[in-house]
Amino acid sequence: MLELVPQLLFTGLGIGAIYALVALGFVLLIRAANVVNFAQGEFSMLGAYLMVILSGALGLPYLLSVPLAIAAMAAFGVLFAGATYWPLRHRGQLPVIISTIGASIFLSNIVLATYGPSPEVLPALFDSPGLELGGVFMDSQYIAIIVITALLVLLQFLIFERTLLGKKLQATSQDKEMASLLGIPVAVMVLITFSYSAALGGIAGVLVAPILFVSVGMGALISLKAFAANIIGGFGNIPGAILGGLALGVVETFGAAFISVPYKDAIAFALLLLFLLVRPQGLFGEKISEKA
Amino acid sequence: MPLLELSGLRARYGAADVLKGLDLTVGEGEIVALLGSNGAGKSTTLRSISGLVPNLAGSLTFAGQSLIGLKPEAIVRLGIAHVPEGRRVFPGLTVRENILLGGSNRRGVPRRQLEADADGMFDFFPDLRRLEHALGWTLSGGQLQMVAVARGMMAKPRMLLLDEPSLGLAPLIVQQVFRIIASIRSLGTTVLLVEQNAHMALSVADRGYVLETGSLLVSGNPTDLWSNPEVRAAYLGGLASAASAPT
Repeated sequence: MLELVPQLLFTGLGIGAIYALVALGFVLLIRAANVVNFAQGEFSMLGAYLMVILSGALGLPYLLSVPLAIAAMAAFGVLFAGATYWPLRHRGQLPVIISTIGASIFLSNIVLATYGPSPEVLPALFDSPGLELGGVFMDSQYIAIIVITALLVLLQFLIFERTLLGKKLQATSQDKEMASLLGIPVAVMVLITFSYSAALGGIAGVLVAPILFVSVGMGALISLKAFAANIIGGFGNIPGAILGGLALGVVETFGAAFISVPYKDAIAFALLLLFLLVRPQGLFGEKISEKA
Repeated sequence: MPLLELSGLRARYGAADVLKGLDLTVGEGEIVALLGSNGAGKSTTLRSISGLVPNLAGSLTFAGQSLIGLKPEAIVRLGIAHVPEGRRVFPGLTVRENILLGGSNRRGVPRRQLEADADGMFDFFPDLRRLEHALGWTLSGGQLQMVAVARGMMAKPRMLLLDEPSLGLAPLIVQQVFRIIASIRSLGTTVLLVEQNAHMALSVADRGYVLETGSLLVSGNPTDLWSNPEVRAAYLGGLASAASAPT
C-alpha cells in the first residue's frame, strides 16, 4: 500500500488545488466585503456549465471556450455583487449571507430547470492522458489543475504585493471608511474582488469539469469543501485557504484509498470537525477573542 | 472668501442630532482649532466636511464649491485630507505602503512620482524612515500618528483635517506632533484641528471655535478664548490661568 502514497499525494493535491481556488475566492470576498458567499461553489458549477454551452452546444474550440467562460464568470461576478451584495451592503453581514444562500438556490435551480438532473460530460483539457514520473502516473488534467492553481496563486501574490491596485484592494479589505477618505474608490475595489472571486470559482469549475461530471450538485459540494478549507486554514486567511484546500484534498484522497471511498466526503468533514474541536482558529488564524 | 465655510450646518449621527446649525470659516493658510468637551460635535464636524456623515441642512463650501452630497472619495480629490481619530493606519500594510496610498486621490500621477513623494515624506518625518518596511500593527501610538499625518500630506491637500492628534500620546510625543502641525502650515497647507488638549491646540492655532452640544459657544483668537473665564472653566481646563495662555 505504501507504494501508493506518492500517487495518492499527487491526486490529492490536484483535488485540493480545486478546493484551494474556490476557498481563495471565498476568502477574498470575506476580506474585501465581509461577505461569506455561500454561492461560491455555484460559481464553479456555472463555469463548468458555461464550458458545456460554449464547447458543447455552440461547438467553439475548447481553448477558446476556456477564456470565454472565465471572462463571462468575471462579468457575472459584477452582476452577482449588484444583485446580492449592493442593495444590502449597509445592513450588516447576516442579510448578505442569506442573500448569497438565496442566490445559490436560485442559480442551481435555474441550471436544473435548463439542463435537468443528468450530469454532462466534458472532455479533458489535453488529448494526452498524462505522463509517468518516478512511478507516479500524472494525469494531464491533474497536472493542469496544479500548474494553473500555482500560477494563479503566484499572479495573485504579485498583484497584491507588487501593485498599487493590490495595495488598494488590501486597504479596502482592512478599513473601507479609511480607504474612501484616501480617495480609493471602495465600490470599484469591492466589485473587482467579486469579479475576481467569480472568475476563480469559474476557473475551478472549468478545471474540475473533466474529472467530476458536470452536475447541478457539484457547486454545493465544492462550496462546502471550500468553506471547510477556510476554517482549517484560518478563517479569512489567504495562505490558510490555499493550504487548507490542499490539506483537505490530500486527506480525503488518502481516506478514500485507505479507509473507504463512499466515506471520502465524511473523512474530509471529520477533519473539519477535528479542527473545530482542537484548533478552531485554524492553521493560520487568530482566536476570535483576540479579534474582538 | 474663506477656503472653507460652514453655514447653519446640521448633521445627525445615528438617531442623535449632533450638529445643530454650525457656522464656521477657515481661511487659506490658517490653523483653526475646534475645541469642546466630549460629545460637543467636533469629530462629527470633520466627518461632515469629509463626507462621512450626511448633512441634513445648511451649506458647506470649499473654495467656493459645495461639498453637500459628495462622497469622501470626491472630497479628498478636491483637496481636503482627513486624518481621523485613532489614526486608522492600515495594520497589514507597511509604513511606506500606507503613505503611498495617501496619494490615491491624485489620479493619473505615475507610481514613480508617488514613490518620490513618499521619499519626501520620509524627509519630512525622518523618524519614520527606519520604519519604512514595518507593518502598521507593529507601530507605537506616536509612530502611528506620524504615519497618519504623512499619509494625509501625501494627498497634497489644500486643507488637512486633524482629529485628536495628541490622543493617548506621551507628553514629549505630543509636543513633537504639534511641532509637525506648525510646520505643515509653513508648507502652505491649511489645518482644521480638533483637539481635547486645548492648551496645545491654541498654542499653534490662529483662531479657535468652542463647541457645545453641536452649536457654537464662542470663537476668537487664542488669547481671547483663553481669557474667557467661562470658556476656560468649562472647556479649556478650568484651573489654567490667563497668565499661562499659550503664545
